[in-house]
Amino acid sequence: MATQAESSKSFFSSPSTETPIIKLEGITKRFPGVIALDNINLEIHRGKVHALLGENGAGKSTLVKILYGIYTPDGGRIYIDGRPVKIAGPMDAIRLGIVMVSQSPVIIDRLTVEENIVLGLEKLNMFAPIRRIREKINEVSKTVGVKIDPSTEVWKLSYTQKQLVEIVRGLLLGARVLLLDEAITYLPLEEKKKFYKFIRQFADEGGTVILITHKIPEAMDVADLITVLRRGRVVGTVPVKGTSIEEIRKMMFGEKSSEITYERLPLGSPSETILEINDLWVRGDFGDYAVKGANLKVRRGEVVGIAGVAGNGQKELIQAVMRLRPVEKGKIIYDNIDITNKTTHYLRLNGVGYIPDLPAKYGVSIENNILENIAIIPTFSKEIINWKHIKSLAYKLIREFEIKTPSPETPVKFLSGGNIMKVLVSRELTAATKLLVAYNPTRALDEATAIRVRKIIKSKVINENVAALIASEDLDEIFQISDTIVVMNSGKIVGVFPADKAKREEVEHLMVM
Amino acid sequence: MVIVRRVKPLPYWIVPVLALVVGLLISMIILYVMSGGVITPYDILLSIYYGFTNVGLLAKTFALLVIVGIGLLVSFKGAIWNIGGEGQFYMGVMLAAWVALFSGFAFNGFIAKTMMILMALLAGGFWALLAALPRAYLNIDEVPVTLMMNYIAYYIVNYITIGEWREKQYGYYRTVTIPESTMFQVIDGTTITLELLILMITIFILVWLMFKYTSLGLRIKVLSSNPNLLRSSGISVQLTILMALLLSGMIIGMAGAAYLGSVSHNISYPVEEKTPGYGYTGILVAWLSMLELIAVPIAAYIIGALHTAGINIQIMGVGGAAVVNVFIGSILLTYAVLITISEYKIKIIVKKR
Ligand SMILES: Nc1ncnc2c1ncn2[C@@H]1O[C@H](COP(=O)(O)OP(=O)(O)OP(=O)(O)O)[C@@H](O)[C@H]1O
Ligand SMILES: [Mg+2]
Repeated sequence: MATQAESSKSFFSSPSTETPIIKLEGITKRFPGVIALDNINLEIHRGKVHALLGENGAGKSTLVKILYGIYTPDGGRIYIDGRPVKIAGPMDAIRLGIVMVSQSPVIIDRLTVEENIVLGLEKLNMFAPIRRIREKINEVSKTVGVKIDPSTEVWKLSYTQKQLVEIVRGLLLGARVLLLDEAITYLPLEEKKKFYKFIRQFADEGGTVILITHKIPEAMDVADLITVLRRGRVVGTVPVKGTSIEEIRKMMFGEKSSEITYERLPLGSPSETILEINDLWVRGDFGDYAVKGANLKVRRGEVVGIAGVAGNGQKELIQAVMRLRPVEKGKIIYDNIDITNKTTHYLRLNGVGYIPDLPAKYGVSIENNILENIAIIPTFSKEIINWKHIKSLAYKLIREFEIKTPSPETPVKFLSGGNIMKVLVSRELTAATKLLVAYNPTRALDEATAIRVRKIIKSKVINENVAALIASEDLDEIFQISDTIVVMNSGKIVGVFPADKAKREEVEHLMVM
Repeated sequence: MVIVRRVKPLPYWIVPVLALVVGLLISMIILYVMSGGVITPYDILLSIYYGFTNVGLLAKTFALLVIVGIGLLVSFKGAIWNIGGEGQFYMGVMLAAWVALFSGFAFNGFIAKTMMILMALLAGGFWALLAALPRAYLNIDEVPVTLMMNYIAYYIVNYITIGEWREKQYGYYRTVTIPESTMFQVIDGTTITLELLILMITIFILVWLMFKYTSLGLRIKVLSSNPNLLRSSGISVQLTILMALLLSGMIIGMAGAAYLGSVSHNISYPVEEKTPGYGYTGILVAWLSMLELIAVPIAAYIIGALHTAGINIQIMGVGGAAVVNVFIGSILLTYAVLITISEYKIKIIVKKR
């Protein structure tokens, strides 16, 4: 019959003839006040790295959480290997060979690496001999180039190692599909590259990867296909070969994509020194010196950007300035006052804003709502909280930074990752009336927003004579925003350049020297 | 054994409701078996019904439980587990008794009662502070410390009750009754006193205001949800912990004064047997309220009614003083188990060497 022929034809209308490993049909997901996903149709094919891109709040995380059974869709169908399935929870997903790795590791600190993996397997009544687990850990850590001893307890591992354990566990669970929701975003650049190499290899051997990232070049490097989401809808799917970064940006941001630029922002006009660091020595988490005699000056009307590979003392330096880490030796002078013995509270009351790394851990309290997350900062509230004032500030920030939220009373945990970051960044930019101290201030933000945030920081610096000390692992960011570029390596400042004279190769060389 | 957080928690009102139902069922079974079939589930339901409907009888227990429940809630909101309500309560009782009996203020009822409440506030606060300081500055777990402090408080009060303060006339193991002028004023037809009622309402409003409008209230909330944010905001985590426990102890101490002035009118030896146990029952009230201030009176009403029901069953002549505790214990236990399995999954794994 004609109708039947037609419908079956449309069913097989996908470009590839094989059955997709995952097929989504009309997937819709609503949350109170938002439609996170609106009638999503998507096919994911075996052996491919499929990147999922889109601006903050586009629905990327929601989509993979549905595939992992954390959310149940309000409508639509999921097919795995052509068969319709219901994924009611992560157990179901894992049984289907789908494993998710997110930004924050969910392994148990008190147990060893092996025990964690055994635990993951036992949940599914699967057992693997310890020998096989060790083999797999060794195999993967060799490919990725990050060493792990299977019998160490997890709390001793670095973030990178933990993420690796997550992936190994996924593989031992028999993952055919890896869902990586910004799982690699927070890794140091070098290790990121190694992970990408591994991902590529996994796909070449027949595995499937859904990769979420905000770094379009990274997606273009490693992925075969890119699907762009916007406001809960699929804008389109394109093969990486035959597309360009501009085209992807246009799909992601529409008109706004023309504003994306990595040109250096206008230089400030530095005036008096507001922050001075003299021969600073600070210990890291494990007791060794992480900062070894750093000297640094930040003037008003200037952005000082600290370039460096993660783990070279930038974090400790920033925390010492914020008085969140003890100073072993040396002096920090802020606004002509030695703050070595002052508290974070003192800085807060004296015009300092602070954007820490890992926003959800150190920058906001996700159980509390946006208003409370603003009111908690002493800059904005005395003993009695003026909610009217806080509320009008919140509305202003929501508008200016386009924070996607149903209301200012929404608990922050209901926002998308990037929008959580926007809450933090916008709050701290407001608090910084004299000095902004930041570590990776735009990570987790989409490209257009990241660039807007940099522009806002720069215009504050220029127009309001604010100073900024910004450490970032993103060299593009350092070069775009800084007036002075400082390179940090092994706890020391190994180079200081005026931004207009800094050469990228030279900075890169000093970073890894 | 390890405990893993659930990805999808259950709806949160299920736990308290289920805990009540299951806890009561367990109590019925226990009481039926223990009494050799004398206390039937029917008796229990009847006395529960009586407990719930006899508002006048319930009133004093209700009000005291509201105050203690709010006191505990203040620290629980900050994830500081004050198990020392009993100790703080009895330090309050003791200092209030001192004011009533020995301070010389008894000539004027108003001054004396005010002083009783004030001194009890200080005493409860001081007792909590003794646990708060090591918790804040040495990171010593507050649960065992506050718990042990209950026994220390009992023994101090016992010591003074049968020592210095013991009434000499008949030689009973108790203090003399507090002077008429220092007794709180009973509201006709109920068991509650005017002062207790005012105290309860005042504390409720003040704590409500604190959580709604003050930085301190917000800090205590954030202390439980993300202490790291407090640090990055420049707020002392230590001080916040200290304040949460201190306020908690102060409020509970005041309940002690109200108990002495409204209910007991003396201290009887040994207190660990004579105590109404509000410091512990209050924990259940705070939990059943799911740490929502507005729900504390509801939880206190339910628990108060069960308390009365327990006493009724006791009066029926079966079971010892422990009947009330059977109710409270079963519900609290069920609650603890339910909250654990609702938020966490428990996995047992064998460590392989
Ligand atoms: N549990 C939830 N409750 C309510 N709203 C939610 C929930 N999870 C997501 N949302 C909303 O759904 C929309 C999509 O969120 P999602 O996390 O999928 O975005 P995303 O594409 O991952 O963004 P980002 O790049 O910022 O991580 C957002 O508007 C978000 O506020
Ligand atoms: Mg996301």
